[in-house]
Amino acid sequence: MNMTERLIEILKNSGADDYEITINDTKAWEFYFIRHELDQNRVRNTKEISVKVYKKSEDGSSLGFATAVIPPTASDEEIEKTVKDLVFQASLLKNRPFELTGPGESSIETEESDLKEQSYGFIKTMDEIPEDENSYLNSYEIFIERTDRRFINSRGVDISFSYPYSMVEAVVNARNEKEEIELYRLFEMGTLRKEVLNENMTEMEKMGLNRLRAVPTPKTEGYPVLFSTDDARNIYYYFIDNTDAAMVYRKLSSFEIGKSIAEEGTGDKLTLKALGRLEGSSSNFPYDEEGSPVRDMDIITDNVPVNFHGNRMFSQYMGIQDSFSLTNIRAEGGTHSEEELRSGNYIEALEFSDFQVDPITGDIFGEIRLAYVHNADGSGYYVTGGSISGNMKDNLGSMEMSCSLRQYDNMLIPRITKLYKMNIAGVE
Amino acid sequence: MRSVFSEYLVSITDTVKDMVARLAETYDYVSALATDSKGFAVRISNSSKSASNRTMTTERGIVFRVSRRGLYSEYAFNDLDPEKEDEAMERLEQALEDQYDLLYSAGVREYETPELDDEPLELFVEKETEILPEDCELETMVNDLVDICEKAKQMDERVVECYTSAQSTHISKMFISRNRFLRQSYVYSEGSVAVVAANEEDNKFAYKAVSGLKGPEIFRDLRSQLEPCIKMADELLSSERIVPGEYEIITDPSVTGLIAHEAFGHGVEMDMFVKERALGKYYIDKRVGSDKVTMHEGALCAENVTSYAFDDEGTLAGDVTEIENGILKTGICDALSAKRLGTVPTGNGKRENYAHKVYTRMTNTIFDSGTDSLEDMISSIKKGYLLEGCESGMEDPKHWGIQCIVSLGREIIDGKLTGKIVSPVIMTGYVPDLLGNISMVSSDREVFGSGGCGKGHKEWVKVADGGPYLKTIGRLG
Repeated sequence: MNMTERLIEILKNSGADDYEITINDTKAWEFYFIRHELDQNRVRNTKEISVKVYKKSEDGSSLGFATAVIPPTASDEEIEKTVKDLVFQASLLKNRPFELTGPGESSIETEESDLKEQSYGFIKTMDEIPEDENSYLNSYEIFIERTDRRFINSRGVDISFSYPYSMVEAVVNARNEKEEIELYRLFEMGTLRKEVLNENMTEMEKMGLNRLRAVPTPKTEGYPVLFSTDDARNIYYYFIDNTDAAMVYRKLSSFEIGKSIAEEGTGDKLTLKALGRLEGSSSNFPYDEEGSPVRDMDIITDNVPVNFHGNRMFSQYMGIQDSFSLTNIRAEGGTHSEEELRSGNYIEALEFSDFQVDPITGDIFGEIRLAYVHNADGSGYYVTGGSISGNMKDNLGSMEMSCSLRQYDNMLIPRITKLYKMNIAGVE
Repeated sequence: MRSVFSEYLVSITDTVKDMVARLAETYDYVSALATDSKGFAVRISNSSKSASNRTMTTERGIVFRVSRRGLYSEYAFNDLDPEKEDEAMERLEQALEDQYDLLYSAGVREYETPELDDEPLELFVEKETEILPEDCELETMVNDLVDICEKAKQMDERVVECYTSAQSTHISKMFISRNRFLRQSYVYSEGSVAVVAANEEDNKFAYKAVSGLKGPEIFRDLRSQLEPCIKMADELLSSERIVPGEYEIITDPSVTGLIAHEAFGHGVEMDMFVKERALGKYYIDKRVGSDKVTMHEGALCAENVTSYAFDDEGTLAGDVTEIENGILKTGICDALSAKRLGTVPTGNGKRENYAHKVYTRMTNTIFDSGTDSLEDMISSIKKGYLLEGCESGMEDPKHWGIQCIVSLGREIIDGKLTGKIVSPVIMTGYVPDLLGNISMVSSDREVFGSGGCGKGHKEWVKVADGGPYLKTIGRLG
C-alpha cells in the first residue's frame, strides 16, 4: 500500500465527515548567475502531501476544517496522529456549512516540458541578451519547474494533471561616467517565451539608461499618471479582489452584481474576464485547488460586475454553486490608442520601488524610481525620486485604458492605464 | 520547558553523516542541512475559522551542498529513507551530473569560489520555552480568538470584520559537514488582531501584533491588543490626507525598525557586495548617519523570532555593530559571500526553507537607544508628524532610496500634538539624509518580529527589527 492509499484508509476511519488530499510532486532545476558566470546550480525534488479534513457539528449547523502538510517520510503513527489532530481541530471550528466538489475523474496532460531542454533554452536566451558597456546584466536567477498534481476528495473526485512553471529574476545595470544604477524584474511564465524575455530585457536596458538621465521629480500638480509596465497589474488586482466572493461576503467590497462600479464618468468601461487558458501563462491549471473546473467566465462587463469568483466556501455563501478560483485574467475595455493616452500633460510611471494598490482601502502608493514627465507643449524629461499616491475609488469613473493589450504571465491587460486623480510628491 | 530536538532528525543522523562522508570522496566540500520544524496556525475571523499545521517556517527536508573545483551545487529533497541510502545517493549524484552535462553543453562559465572553512565544531542547543506548540490547548485558544472577534463588533459597529491569528513553530535543524555537527531546537510564536472598519466613504485596516522567542503563552497578550486596534481604526476613519512635503518627523519604534531594516539591513547584505549591487561596499568607515546613530544586527542581539544558535550554513550566530555613532563599520555576510569577499561570515546565511538557496539575510536589526524622552522630542518640533505603525517597505541598495508605508501620522504644531491624524503616509527619501538628520533618540526601545522579509520579491524569511523613537526629517506623501 503506498502512502496515499494509507492516508485515505486512515482518513476513512478517522471520523472525518469529508476530506481533500493534494499531492504536488515537483522537480526543479535552478541556476544562479553573477554577470554570466554560474554562481550556483541546484536541483530540487520535493513531494508535498496536503490533507484537509472537514467535520460537521452534531446538528449539522456548522462545518469545521483543518489542514496539514504530511511529509512523505511520515510513519503510519505520525499520519494517524496528524489526522486525529485534524479531526479534533476541525470539530472546534464553526463555519457555515458548504459542499465540496464532486464527483469526477480525469487525467490531463497539460503543456509538455523537459527540465533539461527548458534549462538550456533559458540559459542560452539570457546569455544572448544584447549588452554593452553602459547597459548590462548584473545578475540573474533561472528557475525551471515541473509539477505533477493529484487532487482527491471524499466526494469521488480524483484528478491528475501536470504543469510547467518558469521564473527569471534579473538585475540590469546602467552606467555613465558619474553613476551606476540598477533595475530589478521578476518574470514568470509557463515554458520559455524567448521573444517575451528578449523584449522585456531590452526594455529594462533602455529604462536603465533613461534613469541615468533622470532629474529629481518636480511638482507636477494635476498631472494624470500613466502606468505602462507590469506594475499596472496591481490596478487590475483591485478589481479581481473586489469581485472575490470572500471580499464581497465579508462586506470588504462594495461591488454588487448588476450595479456599475463607477458613477457615469468620462472614463473607459472595464471588462474583466477569467480565462481557462492563456498561452504562455504559468497558471494554466484545468482545476483549481479545490478540484473545481476552471473555465472562461465574465467577471465585469462594461463596469458592471456579472459574476463573483472564489473558493467554494465563500462562493456558496453568496449563493454561487459553480464558481472557482481565478487562474488567468483578461482586462479590456479601453477606447484609446497609446498615442492618445500619451498626449497633453502626464507623468508616465516606469519603475517604482514597490507599487501597491490596497484592495480593501483602495489606497495607491509607490516611490518613483523612474518616470517620464510629458508637458502639453511636447517637451518631456525623465525624473526620479518622490512618490505617487491616490485612491482607486477616486479614479473609477475617469480611468482610461488603451485598446492594445500586453501579457504579463497570467494577466492580459491594457498596455497603458491612465489615472487622473493622483497626488505626486516631488523632491523639488 | 526544553524545546526538545526532533526525533525524526535523530533517526536520520547516521544516514546523513554517512552520505556526507561518501560525497566527500568525490567533492571538495560537502555539508547537509536537515530540518524538521512543526507548528500550528489558527486563523479566526467573524466569517471564517481555520487551523493548519503549516506556518511560514514549518518544513521537513534536507539539502546537500557540494563543491567541485570552486563550483557550489545543491540537491534538496524530502523523502530520505535511511533504509534506501544507496538509492538516495544515486539520485543525488545523477541529478547533479545531469546538470553538469547541461552546463558543459551550454558552454557556461563558472564563478570560482574558494573552499568553505570547516573547522571542527559541535553544538547542541535546546532553548527553553514555557509551552511547546504541540502541547498548546487549542480549544481554549480558539474560543478566545472567537470571543475577540465578536467583541470587536460589539465595541464598534463600524467594524466590518475582525481577524485574529496565532502561529507557533517549533524549529529543529541539524547541520552536518565533515567536521561539524550542530543541532538546535527553539520555539517562536506570533499573533495578531486586525480589524477592517468602514464608514460611508472609506474602509480602513488596523492591526496590532505580538511576537517573540516564546511558546503559545504569548497569545495571552492578544486580547489586550483589541482595544488599541479598534482605537487605531477609529482614528484612521477620521484621518485626512497629508499635504506632500518635507517635515520634521518622529518615528515610533515600529517605524524605526522598518527604517533599520530597509536602510542598513538590506543595504549591507554582503551577497549584494559580491554582485556590486550595494553602495554600502564603498562606505565602510565612512559617515552614513548622525552621531546619534548606532545600529546592531544579529541573531544574538535580541531574543525574538529569528534568534537562532547557528545559521543555515553552520555558522554560529553573531551580533554585528553595523553603524557606530554614524560611521558604517561592516555589513552582514553568508559563508559563500564571505569567501568571495575575503572576509568572515557573520551568521546571516538563511534559507526560506531547506528547498531554497542561502542568501545573506537579516535576523534582528535594531537601532540603539539614546537619552531623549518622547515628550522632549515632541516639544522640539515646530511643524511635523509623529509616525506610527509600519506597513511595508522597500529599499534600493544601489542608490540608497527608501520607501516606507506607515499606518498614520499625528500632527505636531509648536511642540504639541494637535489631535489631527493623516493617513496613509508614504515616507521616501535618501538613506544618508534620513539617518544624517537624526537629532534625537529616545531612551527606550522595542523589537518587533511579526513580519516577513523577501529578497527582491521572493525568498521569504522571518526577521525582527526595532529600536527607539527617532527624530529626523522625512519626505512624506
